[in-house]
Amino acid sequence: MANDSAVKFANKDPVDFVIIGSGSAGGILAKELSTQGFDVVVFEQGPYRKPRDFTHDEMSVVYLKELQGGGPKVQQQTFRHDKNAVATVPKLDLPAWYAQTVGGTSVHFSGNFWRFRDSDFKERSLLGSIGGTNFADWPISYEELEPYYTRVDWEIGVSGAPGPFDAPRSKPFPMPPIPVKSSGVLLERGAEKLGLHAQAEPLAILSKPHNGRPACINCGYCLDFGCEVGAKSSTLATMIPLAEASGHCEIRSECAVFRLETDANARASEVLYFDADGNTQSQKTKAVIVSANGAETPRLLLSSASGRYPDGIANSSGFVGKNLMCNTHSLAEGTFEHPLNEYKGVQVTRMVHDFYESDPARGYYGGGGIDARPLFVATPIRYANFSSPPGVPNWGAEYKNMLAANFNHQMSIVGSTTSLPLDSNNITPDPTHKDSWGRPSIRMTYSDHDDDLATARFLQDRAMELFDAAGATNSWRYTVGRQTSSAHLLGTCRMGDDPAMSVVDKYHRSHDIRNLFLCDGSSFVSSGRGQPTMTIMALAFRAAEHIAAAARANNI
Amino acid sequence: MPGDKLSRRTFLQGSSALAIFALSEAASAARDENAAFEILTPYEAKELDAIAARIMPTTDTPGAREAGVIYFMDKALGSFMSDELESFRSGLAEFESGISGTFSELSEAGQDKYLRTRDRTHFFNRVRFMTIAGFFGMSSYGGNRGQVGWKLIGFDGHQGAWQPPFGYYDAEYMRGEHDGE
Repeated sequence: MANDSAVKFANKDPVDFVIIGSGSAGGILAKELSTQGFDVVVFEQGPYRKPRDFTHDEMSVVYLKELQGGGPKVQQQTFRHDKNAVATVPKLDLPAWYAQTVGGTSVHFSGNFWRFRDSDFKERSLLGSIGGTNFADWPISYEELEPYYTRVDWEIGVSGAPGPFDAPRSKPFPMPPIPVKSSGVLLERGAEKLGLHAQAEPLAILSKPHNGRPACINCGYCLDFGCEVGAKSSTLATMIPLAEASGHCEIRSECAVFRLETDANARASEVLYFDADGNTQSQKTKAVIVSANGAETPRLLLSSASGRYPDGIANSSGFVGKNLMCNTHSLAEGTFEHPLNEYKGVQVTRMVHDFYESDPARGYYGGGGIDARPLFVATPIRYANFSSPPGVPNWGAEYKNMLAANFNHQMSIVGSTTSLPLDSNNITPDPTHKDSWGRPSIRMTYSDHDDDLATARFLQDRAMELFDAAGATNSWRYTVGRQTSSAHLLGTCRMGDDPAMSVVDKYHRSHDIRNLFLCDGSSFVSSGRGQPTMTIMALAFRAAEHIAAAARANNI
Repeated sequence: MPGDKLSRRTFLQGSSALAIFALSEAASAARDENAAFEILTPYEAKELDAIAARIMPTTDTPGAREAGVIYFMDKALGSFMSDELESFRSGLAEFESGISGTFSELSEAGQDKYLRTRDRTHFFNRVRFMTIAGFFGMSSYGGNRGQVGWKLIGFDGHQGAWQPPFGYYDAEYMRGEHDGE
């Protein structure tokens, strides 16, 4: 679990790059820059777990949040729906879900790797403005990002097959789709009856051996768990080993950054952190890349306020922390006559993208995707805790009989939607609560926009139709309401050409501080349709190319 | 994070998961039914055990009692859920205050009737969660003895690896593909 990188850099000598965060973006940037010869120190607040450290222990992983650095009592993250309320620490769930471990959230994700479409990057131009929101186009196009999506497919490892609505791709998938599950077959069956189009889910999980890594063994422990064979395409399994092998990258795990310091020339000059023993340390650096995720990145910038930057670092726009987009979701459950055994295999094998585009005829903005998966039925404690149909008591003999009857016959259809960017949805450092390192806690203020909720309900109606068409013996839905917890943390340091309306430029460089780069979900301008990690990784490959070129040109 | 994280990791690092589970089962079986609890008093254990036994009752299949859920509760409240111990104690006292004797002395029908008046309380919800976690969690936590929880629902996920087909519908789908349908 300890830091075992071969190369060690001295704190007092400036390294070429400090990268804060080793996840989907940080892991890629670390590999790209170190293999080009730049000296890189990666800070990861979580421990350095290896595949052999990952277990199937549901109590520890799901309930004690082993990979997330502990539950709400440890994290002390706070939540409120609007700024007039005092944010409080939830009892059971973390408002911002992300892993604290080398490889970050890519270690515990389910690996749904949708590309954005051309329309995602220019929806504001296509649809017009939406009052009361910060709805905007991206400063880049699908065409510009496509080569990097393809690099993710091949270098990170994505299994899949082209679908009828997919954006154009320059190269085929490197691997065929993961074997279809019963949930996928049933979604496909329902879709065919309704005239919709089910397609294979693109997954960051290997269906065949690839780049020296083994294929998935279908153990069923994807959602929230780390992969013990390295078939899940986390940056831990893909990029971090290459970064370390370069001899130019030190992974400094269990080291939590709490402050960025700038010098009189408006340059980021050092990074203050707590080491594994809790001692305060400082690493000098020539440049800083923050890839800490859409909650951690703005917290760090806002917590680094100083006399020079009273509103936080890189925040002349006032947009740091704002425009948080979590993607709204809907959930419907169904049971079938014959066994599905959804606990075996990956989460998602089929999806429906017929409702991806926003349709003015619906009367509100938004679009999304529908997929079939076990969700909570994948593991038994969560199944027993959450997955009961309405009308069945949640304890006693009838409950017990229902649990026995449904476990192998039940599946979920999930809808994932757009989120509109709003000033009022944001991340700020909590004024009173502190996390386990003593840093101001992450405070999430969030209320889904009415259009986002309407889109989620629309997709849930379609899910119920799909269950009927697929021949479900029973189906039920969970009320779509405002979210209080999310694993999708997007938009909080958005990119853009106008320094007054964005935090970083199209190459992820801070408008205010030349040697500071921000690259993770926070860079998003719009939310996509609910599966952001593919785009986070493509952005990271693209950012790395531009950052390396700038460094070589002595232009940082 | 639980204090025994490393030991549980070590626990899973062995060469054969099956052998480890066999050991764990043997250890559970060897435990004296009347063994002293680490944290719970005999009274608390008796009452919590009685509540758990109505949440996941013994029917024609094993229930919370056979799964050793009370041992999971004792272990959890003494370690990774120790911060809930006081609220469990005060919750139990409040719960029992609505009964002239104790909950465990009521008939099963009387217990169910009383629980229906209490099953929306925070205390009940936490006992319910602990019952589920003890019934369906790994045996190393003290419950799910003989994997009775997993057997009840037909979960054999601890096998750890599968090959398709996984279920009825994907098997049917594969046959259709092979038949050229």
